[in-house]
Amino acid sequence: MNRRHLPVWVSLWLSSSPCLAAGAPDASVSRAPEPRAQACSVEGLMDSIRRGLQSGSPAYQRYLRELLKESAVTLPEAALREAFERETAPVMVEHLAAALAARTDRGEGVETLRLVAKRALGDADPAVRAAATRALRRTSAEEHTGDMYQRLVRDASPEVRAEAATNLIEDNQYVYAGAHGPASDVAVAAAVASSDPAVTARILGNISTAPISAESAQRIHALVDSDDARVRAAAVTALGGVPAAQMERARQVLATRYRDETDVGVRSAILQGLARLGFSSAIPELRRLRGVDPRLTGEADAWIQALSTGLQEWSLLLREKQRVGQAH
Amino acid sequence: MPRVPPPRPSTPGDTTSPPAPTKAWRWRLGAVGGLLLLGVAWGLWPAAREEEAPVVGAPRPEQEASTEREAARHGAGQEVSAESGDALAAAPRYDPTTCWSDLARFDEGVRVDTFREWAAPLLASRDPLVRMYLKERLTELIGGDAGRALEVLSWTKEAGPKEFKVFAMALKDSEAVHRPEVARGILDLGLDTALEPERRAGVLSALDTQRRLSAETLTRLTDFAKDPASGEAGWAAARTLARVMRNDHARAADAAPYLDGLLTIGQESLDEHVRYMALSTPMETAPVLDARAVGRYAQVLTTEGSPDGRGAAAHNLALSEDPRRVLETFERAFGPEQDVCVRWALFRFSARAAGRDALPVMARMALTDPRFQTTYQDFERIYASGVMDFERVWLSLPDQDPYGCLHRD
Repeated sequence: MNRRHLPVWVSLWLSSSPCLAAGAPDASVSRAPEPRAQACSVEGLMDSIRRGLQSGSPAYQRYLRELLKESAVTLPEAALREAFERETAPVMVEHLAAALAARTDRGEGVETLRLVAKRALGDADPAVRAAATRALRRTSAEEHTGDMYQRLVRDASPEVRAEAATNLIEDNQYVYAGAHGPASDVAVAAAVASSDPAVTARILGNISTAPISAESAQRIHALVDSDDARVRAAAVTALGGVPAAQMERARQVLATRYRDETDVGVRSAILQGLARLGFSSAIPELRRLRGVDPRLTGEADAWIQALSTGLQEWSLLLREKQRVGQAH
Repeated sequence: MPRVPPPRPSTPGDTTSPPAPTKAWRWRLGAVGGLLLLGVAWGLWPAAREEEAPVVGAPRPEQEASTEREAARHGAGQEVSAESGDALAAAPRYDPTTCWSDLARFDEGVRVDTFREWAAPLLASRDPLVRMYLKERLTELIGGDAGRALEVLSWTKEAGPKEFKVFAMALKDSEAVHRPEVARGILDLGLDTALEPERRAGVLSALDTQRRLSAETLTRLTDFAKDPASGEAGWAAARTLARVMRNDHARAADAAPYLDGLLTIGQESLDEHVRYMALSTPMETAPVLDARAVGRYAQVLTTEGSPDGRGAAAHNLALSEDPRRVLETFERAFGPEQDVCVRWALFRFSARAAGRDALPVMARMALTDPRFQTTYQDFERIYASGVMDFERVWLSLPDQDPYGCLHRD
């Protein structure tokens, strides 16, 4: 078959197949494909990924992304780095950045991950900065990049700031299981450093503060007086989960704050914070507060009912509270 | 007393999540996994994962895929090239990955009716990535179409082991699996005695993603699971029941009918593995037990022959509508219990049941068995510090496995 008569996509495939051996037979749309196992190369993988972007199959795109990441430790590092430095399309940058970070996570040295961090912080294109930031999600980046997150949450681009916040939240939960003090402290520091109240609120409202340092707790206390209600709500939520040594102060601050606060969302978050700090011992305080704001009497009652079950884990109490809420 | 061979330990993480840093595994396993591990190496705990946590216990399709990938990642670690002068320096730390020619064309053109023929060389390979892709691609091809789903189901009757796993898993994850005629077809085939037990087990696992089970299906699965003739497939049926309970309970449904079935299996099956599957799986859903379930699990504490089964019952009892009754049950069971790991379960799950209020009971347990003195002091100190959440109490313990129960053989 003459290559000129092939459909365009087949020609493309033939001209730049990642694994095509010299002298391979021409492909035909009507004939069954004959997949053969071959060695991988950076160029070949990049070509496949580029073409795969047109594929209607998310499974195929996931496969190519995984394949590049899994290949990262056996491909030549220099070729990966060069491809990364050369690439300017955000989606391709993200693939390569994820591969470079994967090398570090497999114990192949921190340099490749730092290369990604450098691009996340310094590329001129905000879409590339955002892509490089995404590629660092659920990696060990927090351990190797100094104050990178404090800088990313101040990026001029809201997309970059939002991606950085998502990294901190997901790392905190999925990489460190909410139990690693340094990871929670990095997240608190970034939340405080951010110039974007939405980012500050999203981070603080969604991380575990159980292992934070006294200094981090102090920083969160300072945000309880923020002008932005979203930040106040997140700060009181975060105070609900502080370490034992910080609990008494948090309890006092929240109980006092409830009466001064006017925003109903913040007040609701305070009720939750108090419930979390005290479990069933919070019931008397919640009873005292339930009449303060008629809009939240039902909410206070739902907490009292959930805490009365005597369940001993916060995740189960939250679930119970949700069920109580649904029943009403 | 015969011991249940410990089920295989779980492979951490699933096969679609990105490789996490070494430290990540340490935290996940140490901090989260340790909390609810029962004393055997297969906790079932979805916390801190947004994806479905793999529920494991015996080699299943998804686990094998994951294990394959792990093997691919580390398999070559110790091999040394014979030609190399500096053998150690040249030793490859990882197996190279496989790239497939013609795969883009496969992806573009494959349909359900050409899938088996076209995918044959890929299915025959040992490349876990491409097998995962094939499974996901087949799920896409099935889509919500009941006819295509039933066609793939028909393949599972005679497919070879490697193909079979891809087909059954693809079916399980498809949208069409929720069509009543498809779910019924899977159930009928899974209960079909003409098939060998391993195949029936794999077919039944395609029901794991169901959002709920009808009363009739629940009864059929329960009866099948406890039937000695069902063998390994009975084990899979119990697991399916537990997994759908989790799916349904997550949408606020009542777990009681499922628990009832699982308890029946857990009390009546003659096979320890099946009983343990039925007794241990509710801990993942963590339902709050009503009085009836408390009564039945309390019976298991005194009648179950396997220590792992008794430990699982203690785990489930920790969450109930009547913590005081559970504390009494635990205290009564502690003295006659001879197995230190089951005693450890009764001890720590007293705290999970009643928090600080459990301390007097735990103190009396530590008087009965002085090995628990130090651990008792740890709990007392942690509660005195103001921590209440059992998860945090647990993480504050200096040693989460003080009696060597996590990996006992």
